[in-house]
Amino acid sequence: MTALALATTPSRWVAGLLLIAAGGLGVAMLVGNAQLGPIRIPSVLEVLVGWSFAACGVFLWRRGRSSHLGQLMTLVGFLWLSGRALALVSHPVVFIAGLWLTDLWAPAFALFLLAFPIGRLRTRLDLTIVGVFLFVTVPLELLWFVFLVPANGLNALGFAPNPDAAHVIDTVQRDLISFGSVLLVISLGRLWIRSSGPARRQLLPILVGGVAILLQSTSWILFSSGQSHDFLDELIALAQIAIPIAILIGMLRARMARGAVADLVVELGQTPTPARLRDALANALGDPSLTVAYWASDRNRFVDGAGSPVDLPAEGTGQAVTMLERNGTPEAAIVHDASLLDEPGLIGAVASAMRLAVENERLTATVEAQLDEVRASRARIVAAGDAERQRVERDLHDGAQQRLVSLTLALRLARSRLGESGDPAVRESLDQAADEARAALAELRDLARGIHPVVLTEAGLGPAVESLANRAAVDVSIDIEPGRYPPAVEGAAYFVVSEALANVSKHAGARRASVAARHLAGTLAIEITDDGVGGADLGSGSGLRGLVDRLAAIDGTLTVSSPPGGGTRLAASIPVIPAAPISG
Amino acid sequence: MNTIVIVDDDDRFRAQATAVLEADGFVVIGEASGGERGLAAIRDLEPDIVLIDIGLPDIDGFEVARTVGGESDAKVVLMSTREASAYGPRMLAGSWVGFIPKEELSGEAIRKLVGLR
Repeated sequence: MTALALATTPSRWVAGLLLIAAGGLGVAMLVGNAQLGPIRIPSVLEVLVGWSFAACGVFLWRRGRSSHLGQLMTLVGFLWLSGRALALVSHPVVFIAGLWLTDLWAPAFALFLLAFPIGRLRTRLDLTIVGVFLFVTVPLELLWFVFLVPANGLNALGFAPNPDAAHVIDTVQRDLISFGSVLLVISLGRLWIRSSGPARRQLLPILVGGVAILLQSTSWILFSSGQSHDFLDELIALAQIAIPIAILIGMLRARMARGAVADLVVELGQTPTPARLRDALANALGDPSLTVAYWASDRNRFVDGAGSPVDLPAEGTGQAVTMLERNGTPEAAIVHDASLLDEPGLIGAVASAMRLAVENERLTATVEAQLDEVRASRARIVAAGDAERQRVERDLHDGAQQRLVSLTLALRLARSRLGESGDPAVRESLDQAADEARAALAELRDLARGIHPVVLTEAGLGPAVESLANRAAVDVSIDIEPGRYPPAVEGAAYFVVSEALANVSKHAGARRASVAARHLAGTLAIEITDDGVGGADLGSGSGLRGLVDRLAAIDGTLTVSSPPGGGTRLAASIPVIPAAPISG
Repeated sequence: MNTIVIVDDDDRFRAQATAVLEADGFVVIGEASGGERGLAAIRDLEPDIVLIDIGLPDIDGFEVARTVGGESDAKVVLMSTREASAYGPRMLAGSWVGFIPKEELSGEAIRKLVGLR
């Protein structure tokens, strides 16, 4: 149907002029009829049919749909109006032209019905039907004009007036039109039966149109005796008025469906299950038969929400596939009724919404994976730091400390061999040197303990905290459940207590402090309180900040409550994996 | 009550400890560089006193001390380069007579520990 040349969308002015022209033709029809006698309902209905087609056609055309249905509908409307208007003019050429245009309306309308909604003829039958209508309304019509003797006597083509011949041709025309109408209804009915869901909804006004044209053509045959058939004509006219309006309503429904797309976006924002996603898409597109397939890159094929393989429908099965791709790789496919392809805006909006959801899900998964990796790597860094501290402590123990022990013993041996004899100054020097060596050893031990407390790995958190308390400047009461925890947990807990007690000694002005640790529901909860001046906060010193980071590395948390003058309470919570303490 | 076996993996320390203790009147009748060898030497030599380094390479010093306590009448003294508190409560749970930081090792210190029992 690309032959209908006016492919471009008409401007507002052109559309306006077309509507004014349609209005003018209608008014001319009414005026012309009024001159013949009082205006009766069928005359008004006739005008309304033309207006309905012309107005809805222009509206459709203005929407810029690719299928040329707007242009076709406008053409149908104008053929209807102009033919009937011209036929009221008392001029041999104009009158005959009006009669011809009036009848040319039939093939145009048949074409419109058969081309709906894709804008072109589908089958050879459809082509035949349009061919029959054209045969009747062009060659047979012209032949009919040659013999026709109109009641008003106006016939520019009436070269061989012969009422009998004209009647024979007229009868053949009517029979052929009726035959074509039956085929038309069969074709439309077949299409309707084969369609499902939204397609059927769209096709209903078209089917009505087919039935209307059939009724009209049969009414010509049934009532060719000249009996009045106003009632049937009125019914047919009403149906014809309703057809363009019903099609327009269908389009408005599509617009309303875009509201359903908005709902869909909301639904997709909540990361629905595959089943709910399918329902939401089916609802938005008004296609209960809709399914969603996901691309399984590891299996190189599409699967459904449950992971079972899915074959996408082939072309011509009445179903179509809208593919969601990312960088040329399929991510998902929406399998839907092929008729939805005629709503590219709607399916596009739905696909975009779903693409957003899929992309969102993918990004979320990527971020989660990266976050997991960052968490794991942070925990590994802390574990590696702990291992390194342990190694340094061992190196100090095996190296410098052993040498200082050796030096101390050598000095004592020298002193002992010297006995009470010899130079008193030498004896004194040896004693002093031994004392220095012992002092150096003590300092080295403090340093090593600060780097890694062996008691923690040897005996666990309780003894390690006891050892801290023994060296603290204030009285420390300890209430720690006996038990062992994973090294990372014990290490973090120990450094929390160590830092807290160091702060108590340095800043708090406290007289006493307490340390409590409990293992509850897979979490080690540690609390350090003092009766000092308070005023500590996590941002104030790198010490507490460092603890927060260290705890975060193993998903632990630290909170500080330290009102000025009200003491300080430090609470750490560390997840313990495995949940039960390691006995030991 | 003056024969001693020293169990320590540091050769230099064993030599120095032997010299220090012998200068103070003890007789070091045997040395071992690890737990297994130490246990064998102690069974073999039946010393009065055994000095055991806690940080032995093969068997934990506490384990060796516990085994010796179960097998012989020898007085066991634990030693380490680290301070006693590094071992927490483990230091308290055994049949040994006491602990000496290695740099404090002397005949007098040993006599004090052993004599106190």
